[in-house]
Amino acid sequence: MTNPPADSIPPPRVPHPASFRDPAGFVFTIDDVIYRQVNRSYAELYEQLMKSGLYAKLTHDSFLIPHTEAPDSPIQSPNPDRQSHYKTLLPRKLSRLSYPGEWCAAQLRDAALLTLKIQRLAMEYNMTMKDATPFNIQFDNGSPIFIDTLSFDLYDPAKPWIAYRQFCECFLFPLYLHRYTQTGTGKISTAWPDGIPVPTTARLLPLKSRWNAGVWLHVFLQNHVGSRQPAASEQNLRFSKAKLSNLIEHLQSIVTRLNPAGNNRSAWSNYYDETILGKAYLEEKERLFRQYLDDIEFADALDLGCNDGWFSKILTKTGAPVIAVDSDCQCIDKLYRDQNPNILPLCVDLTNPTPATGFRNAEQSSFTDRAPSDLVTALALVHHLALHNNIPLSLIADYLSQLAKKYLIIEFIPLSDPKATELIARKQSPTIDYDAAHFESAFSRDFRIQRKDQVPGTERLLYLLKKI
Amino acid sequence: MKTLFLYIDPGSGSYLVQVIIAAILGGAFWIKKFWRGIRSFFTSLFASFFTRRKKDP
Repeated sequence: MTNPPADSIPPPRVPHPASFRDPAGFVFTIDDVIYRQVNRSYAELYEQLMKSGLYAKLTHDSFLIPHTEAPDSPIQSPNPDRQSHYKTLLPRKLSRLSYPGEWCAAQLRDAALLTLKIQRLAMEYNMTMKDATPFNIQFDNGSPIFIDTLSFDLYDPAKPWIAYRQFCECFLFPLYLHRYTQTGTGKISTAWPDGIPVPTTARLLPLKSRWNAGVWLHVFLQNHVGSRQPAASEQNLRFSKAKLSNLIEHLQSIVTRLNPAGNNRSAWSNYYDETILGKAYLEEKERLFRQYLDDIEFADALDLGCNDGWFSKILTKTGAPVIAVDSDCQCIDKLYRDQNPNILPLCVDLTNPTPATGFRNAEQSSFTDRAPSDLVTALALVHHLALHNNIPLSLIADYLSQLAKKYLIIEFIPLSDPKATELIARKQSPTIDYDAAHFESAFSRDFRIQRKDQVPGTERLLYLLKKI
Repeated sequence: MKTLFLYIDPGSGSYLVQVIIAAILGGAFWIKKFWRGIRSFFTSLFASFFTRRKKDP
């Protein structure tokens, strides 16, 4: 790589709004490329990570995101970061970002297991993880991957794990609460981004959970000890590598057994199997859907109301990465277990999509900021938003126009359809402005109708819309 | 002089609880080992008893 001319001033390295806690370095973006600066204060630990073989092992196992070291040339003397700068890393780019509030329990469980596997490996190379937060993990090719290269510290076998409490509060406790109350883990992670506190978890878990040895040790014992023990007196406690290995292994066995699959049927988990429209309807819709896909080009897709992911899977056959979204976490759980590397399944309620969160509302971007894709599909979705949630068609059209960069494949289900009738059966006031004409008028502001077909055997309409 | 801060707060009682849990897990390990020893002693005793009976006409 050639050095820039001496008089050119490199762009300033503005840390990402979420990258301010760790003194080891920070993440910044220049021209849409994400870099990670390693500060001088972290130089020794970074070299330990790279030279001990831990980095090679972690990246070989696809546990840690691989990076290349970018040349130092962008750092010039006028740049104030020069004093602290040690190295600049160029991590492999991830196609999409997601956050724990959008994950199903199985995704949080796999992220937890990844954290524990990394901690065990790190200990073999005389390092330890200095934090254990799900925000250090993203989903890539259908599996979790650790993204914070600077999370490693030197391991002192005489000390317990500094991130133990954080691991429990961010991973283990939401999984326990889901196990005993079927709350899902996403809402817990959204409400407590730094982890649900030990005393809160102890109060929320039902009485029967006390029969579980893991709950007793990690929740109730920890709650009891934490409320009585001043932290200062703990500094002289001695520990050992064998003890920490046992503890991590114990956590691994607990989390592995917390298999959130369950046999619970959700409202939509057998929608296509049991719907009165059945297989013939699905086949006809799929035939039209495939025809539409042949007519258009798109680099990525967003499948809204994906249900079991039938159409998301069809979308991936074009090679495009797909974000598959449903408000039903059971559907997302099922789809995640298929381990399709091109599908990122996320549990998001479109009537209340993930907001921008963190300090200054700038640490994690909103779903609406992250989701826009070339193609958006919304099959059997609009009637729910319009009839169940009372969202006017014009507002639905506005929102989908925000999300669709090029095309929208959308299904309109008229009031005469049994599924629509079901939705308004208990509503007192007559529904107005809900018919194909109003639908087309609402969407015609930002879209042009490219194809319109009636799904044979039904009154449902399928549209291929092109963004104007 | 530069002041160094811990990156995260381990939480009060978090070290002590790990010491206690590790002790319990260690204890459980020895109990399991002891129990397995007793079980294998009796299993082998019964096994040899039944093999001898089978051999006896």
